[in-house]
Amino acid sequence: MPREQKQVRELQEGSYVMMDDAPCKINHYSTAKPGKHGSAKARVEGKGVFDDKKRSLSQPVDAKVWVPIIERKQGQVVNVNDDEVQVMDLDTYDTFTMRIPEGEDFTSDDNIEYLDYEGQRKIIG
Amino acid sequence: MFPGATTGREAASYVVVGAPLDATTTFQPGTRFGPDRVRRFAETYDDYDRRTDSRFSALGVHDDGDVRPWDDVPAYLDHLAAELRSVVYDDAVPLLLGGEHTVTYAGVDAVDPDILVVADAHLDLREAYDGNPWSHACVTRRCLDDLGVDRAVIVGARTGSEAEWNRAADADVEIVAPEDAREWLDALDSEDAFGDDSVYCSIDIDALDPAYAPGTGTMEPFGLEPRGVRDLVRAVAPRADGFDVVEVNDRDDGQAAAVAGKLLREFAHSHADATATASDGDRPDGSE
Repeated sequence: MPREQKQVRELQEGSYVMMDDAPCKINHYSTAKPGKHGSAKARVEGKGVFDDKKRSLSQPVDAKVWVPIIERKQGQVVNVNDDEVQVMDLDTYDTFTMRIPEGEDFTSDDNIEYLDYEGQRKIIG
Repeated sequence: MFPGATTGREAASYVVVGAPLDATTTFQPGTRFGPDRVRRFAETYDDYDRRTDSRFSALGVHDDGDVRPWDDVPAYLDHLAAELRSVVYDDAVPLLLGGEHTVTYAGVDAVDPDILVVADAHLDLREAYDGNPWSHACVTRRCLDDLGVDRAVIVGARTGSEAEWNRAADADVEIVAPEDAREWLDALDSEDAFGDDSVYCSIDIDALDPAYAPGTGTMEPFGLEPRGVRDLVRAVAPRADGFDVVEVNDRDDGQAAAVAGKLLREFAHSHADATATASDGDRPDGSE
């Protein structure tokens, strides 16, 4: 599985973490100061990388969490079809279909970057 | 636990969060005891609400306990807002128990409303108090200037500095004096005053006349009557996405806490009743 374990205190805004079994990008991280007898707790907020759903978790800062290893890859547009695009990976020459992000416009031969995690893919530009 | 808040966090439609911040109270402190005091004086209330024909324990309320404050108020508010945003992410409505009024900043930050409806004796429109922009006397100003709230309606306001009254004259602030509150409420019933805008409802318990709620930090005479605040909560709740009741302390025999607990319940009953009606395709305002 392309993921690693980290302590909650090692997380930071902009990095990734698994929440509800979904890889999420962290957009807010805050810790509560411990009471006399408590341990510091972190509240981590993130957005699903592939489903855009907002999620949140609360854990002691020394708890272990899974961090997904999301690959950033290069591809070339082969064909554009409505809101989907056929892309060829420039390393493996695999071809697959991805949804075009809102507001983006592609034509054949465009080079793109995309995120890949266990077969879930998303164009980032 | 708030009495009747027996639903698990995952299944909850409403989540009670205590925020016993007591950092900037300017006269009588004690808001650090507010949340637990409200919980305690809500113990005697019947579970059944006749007006809405519903049971509080069946509304899906969860009590998530308190978020313990520490000295750094901005850092605390940032963390409290994150806790409350997690409630919003779970499609539940946060019910915040203060704590000094400053905690409303975190509630508004989490809910991100267009309109803030606040019952308060004070304008709370100061840029800073004693040099502190995070004072409880500045919270409405912070929500307008820093959090992008489009409009604040301050019901029951009867005191403020000259600079605050000048700020209150701007187009994004509406002041409803205690003696005009009933008329304002009646107009709410007859017209959809909020349109499609989202609303956050904050009740500073000192909006009530101190004869009814003496357990608060800065008592201000000639205030609202409990039934008026109750009717405000009933009217605003159906359109609100977040609620708080703040500034309750332990310096009375429970009068302030008793009203606060009842107002929280009124909010939940009214909101749930309206939500159920709306899901039946018949919103109270007649819109789709």
